[in-house]
Parts: sequence; structure tokens; C-alpha cells
Amino acid sequence: MNTLVEIVSPGFILREALIGSVLVGCLCPLVGVYFVLRRMIFLGVALPQLSAAGIAMAFLVYRMFVGQHQHFMPSERWLAMSGSLSATLVGLLVLAAFARHRETVEARIGVTYAIAAAATILFLALDPAAEAHMVNLLKGDILATTGPSLTLMGGVFGAIGLLLLAFRKEFLLVSFDRDLAVVFGKHVGLWDSLLYLMIGITISLGVMTAGPMVTFGFLVIPTLTARVMTHRMLTFSLTAAGLGAITAFAGFYCAYRFDLPLGPAEVALASLVLALVTTTRGLTRLLGKWGAT
Amino acid sequence: MPGTLLTLHDVSLGYDGRVVLERLSFAVECGECLALVGPNGAGKTTLLRGILGLIPVLAGQIEYGFDRSTSPPGYVPQRETLDPIFPLTVFEVVLMGTYGRLALLRPVGRRQRQLAVDCLEQVGLADLADQPFWALSGGQKQRVLIARALAVEPNILLLDEPTAGVDPGAATAIMDLIARLNRDQGLTVVLVSHHLRLVRSLVRSVLWVEAGCANKGATEFMLTPERIMDSFGSLRGTE
Repeated sequence: MNTLVEIVSPGFILREALIGSVLVGCLCPLVGVYFVLRRMIFLGVALPQLSAAGIAMAFLVYRMFVGQHQHFMPSERWLAMSGSLSATLVGLLVLAAFARHRETVEARIGVTYAIAAAATILFLALDPAAEAHMVNLLKGDILATTGPSLTLMGGVFGAIGLLLLAFRKEFLLVSFDRDLAVVFGKHVGLWDSLLYLMIGITISLGVMTAGPMVTFGFLVIPTLTARVMTHRMLTFSLTAAGLGAITAFAGFYCAYRFDLPLGPAEVALASLVLALVTTTRGLTRLLGKWGAT
Repeated sequence: MPGTLLTLHDVSLGYDGRVVLERLSFAVECGECLALVGPNGAGKTTLLRGILGLIPVLAGQIEYGFDRSTSPPGYVPQRETLDPIFPLTVFEVVLMGTYGRLALLRPVGRRQRQLAVDCLEQVGLADLADQPFWALSGGQKQRVLIARALAVEPNILLLDEPTAGVDPGAATAIMDLIARLNRDQGLTVVLVSHHLRLVRSLVRSVLWVEAGCANKGATEFMLTPERIMDSFGSLRGTE
């Protein structure tokens, strides 16, 4: 109880990290709703890896053409951010360009993941001076979240959340029944692009802040949990975001209380909730059938 | 409600530059109920998708007797094209039909909700509004999709095999519903169907699509046993 009081107090030393965790936990599932509904879950594995490759590439290009970057400087974070965002968006655009060929979608995502993973290691190997420090950036260091980066994250995630809310009928229509959207005269390509842009920004910021594992975990796990619990679109989105925020907070509490690594603690807790909800749902159905017979 | 709602002038349609239907010319009058009939792979769905603007017209011109941007057509797709992963209630699915006339950023309001309720009542499923869409039977899902198309407040209703994959009783109920909408509300209907028995009893005109061509005429002249035998080999399977 004392730990809980400590981490919610305004003077808590890791307050920015806590808020950052909850923001990632809240927004990733909100975007993840479209990952799950559009059956793009595998893309959720490939994109954080692409983001990591982008960060590594940005550092390498900077060193080659400008010089050694300064560690822990704000410019380093912007450099990483631009690399992450560029690689994610290029990857999304390439994958979207071939989206019509649905039969090879898994293969394309798998190839993207393999290329991105290999590229990350190769870029790191070519920039040995920065390797040790970049590993922290690539795995995400949420405990290093600062006031300015939190403000940036809050602003960007807030804008994405508002866009998802404001255009939810367009995103739903384009995702659920693309043909009907065309019949209604909607520019489906434009809506897809906007959605991909928001996904790209969320993943880039998520990877930079919390790392690929947490970003992918929160894109998918709370969303799947919410899918088991709800049968309405709006409650699905809100439940996913709420579950993500709560499990991120609870994961942070567990990590701080029991001295565990933060990211794995959050993902493990989200997975535990998914397992509990799925098991309860399965048992309820089983008992219902048993009662009926 | 006199006038022509849809006219095709020498229209060719196909995919990836490959022509499936060539130089089709016919018109659909206001209040008409037209069935697109023909063997599998003849291009019935291609024609419907062409009319809807879902595939580009390779040659010729389709003329609409209404403004498609302000008054889109009602469209009922084959329900297998919709993914059951979406958590949607019956009401939410029907409400989607009202999005066609809603401006950007304009939220769904009381009028749209009432319209969705009215459309569900028209198809006899108002009491299932809060049920998950995917929990319904095939026939019920199809009626919900018809309600969604009605929520567009369309001049014309286009249906792609509305009776496919449903039991005979449900198929009859769906065709009765379509015929009632056409007869009582004067709604123009174009539908693709393999249920020749139901088409013969409920639809007045038929467009026979076969070998890249199409011929239109009154149902009793188009659905003769000889033509059906020629195209389908036997009457079995055409119901």
C-alpha cells in the first residue's frame, strides 16, 4: 500500500516514466484495435523491428556524413525519432502498396521482419562506438523519460486519440466493408494512409519510449482481451485502451514493488489478464452448454 | 415514379484489363425489379460491381438517373465478404448505412438512430437490435444487411446473391421481403440470384448474363426451361 501511495504522489521520482508507461499502455491498444480487426497482427511484430532498424540506420548515416553524435543530448533523441518514423512509414507504405495481394501477406510481413532484424544488427555492427548506448534506445528506456519527451508523447498520442475518435465511423467503414465505403464515395486510400500514418507514429514513439516488446505487446494483448469481453465497436476500443492503461499502471507498480524489469512485467501482467479473461469466458460457455443439456 | 434510373451504353467490364463482359447496353427503369441470372462465372457479380463503381468501366458509359454523391445506392454484399472478427451489434451494422449521407466529422444523431430502428422494423428484426451480428443465422444476417442498405435511403437497391447459403425457408422470406420493398415502396431493385424458382415467382424482368453478353426481357420469356437446360445442364441446383 505504501508503494502505491508513493508512486501516485506528485513528488515520485519516476513520475514521468509512470505517466509515459500509462500513455503507451492506453494508446497502443487503441491503435491496436485496427491491427487486430484488419488481421495485421504479424505486422505488429515487423513494424517495431523496422522502427529499431530505422534508429540504427539514422545513427549510422549521421556518423558517416556529419560526425559522432552526442549521447544523452536532445538532438540524439530527435535523430532516433526521425530514423524510427521514416523506416516505419516506408515499411508501411511498401506493405500497403502490395496489400491487394492478400495471399502473400504473411510472407511479406515475415520478410520485412527478417530484413529489419538483420539490418538492425548490421547497422549496429558498423557503428561500434555507439552500439552500447544505442542498445538502450533500441530496447526503449522508459525509466529515462524526461519532462519534454513526455510532453511530446502526450501531445502526439492525444492528437492520435482524438483523430481515432473523430473519424471512427470512417475508419470502421473502410476497415469493415471497403466496398460499401467506395459506394459511399469515401476515399479509402486516403483513410488507409491516415490510419497507417497514425500507426507509424504510435509505433515509432512507442519503440523509442518503451521498446519493441512493450509496444507490440500493448498493440495486441489488451486488444485481444477486450475482443473477448465486448461485442460493440466503441466499447471494444474503450475497453482495450482502459485495460492497456490499467495493466501498464499495475505492471509499473509490480516492477517497482518487486524490483522487476519494467517492460517484461507490464507485458506479463497484460498476458495474465488475457489468460484469465479467456479462461473465464471458456468456462462460462462450457457451463452454459452443460446447463442447457 | 417514371423515368430511367440506370442506363448502360456499350459498357465493357473486367479485371486487370481482361474483358469479362463486352458492350452491354440496357436500362433499368424506376420501380423495376431486375434479376441478373446466368451460369457460374458468367459475370453477374462483375456487372453488379461495375454498376456500383467498384471496378472501372473498361469501355462505354454508365449513366445514373440520380446523384451518386448525395444519394448513394443501397448495396447488399455477399455476407461471406464481411469479417466476423469485428465486434458489432445488429444495430451498429444497420447504422453503418446512414454513414453514406453523413458529412465528415458529423456524428451519428437521433435521426440516424431512428432511421436504423425503422429499417430494422421493415425487415422484421427490431427485437434483435442489441444482439451480436455474428450470432444471427445466415438468413437473419442477410436481412440485417438489407436493413443496412435501406438505411442509405436509396433510389436503387443492389443485392449480390442475397439468398446464397441460406436455407430454403429463409431464402423465400428474403425474396418476399425484396419483392415487398419493390412493390409497396416502389424501390428499384437489381439483384444477382441463382434461385430461379424464386426469381420466376417474384421478379418481373430478367437480365440473362452468359458468355460475355447480356439479354434483358420479361421473366416468363427469359426463364424458359429450354434456356435453363441449355445453360445449367439440368434444373437441379437452380432451385
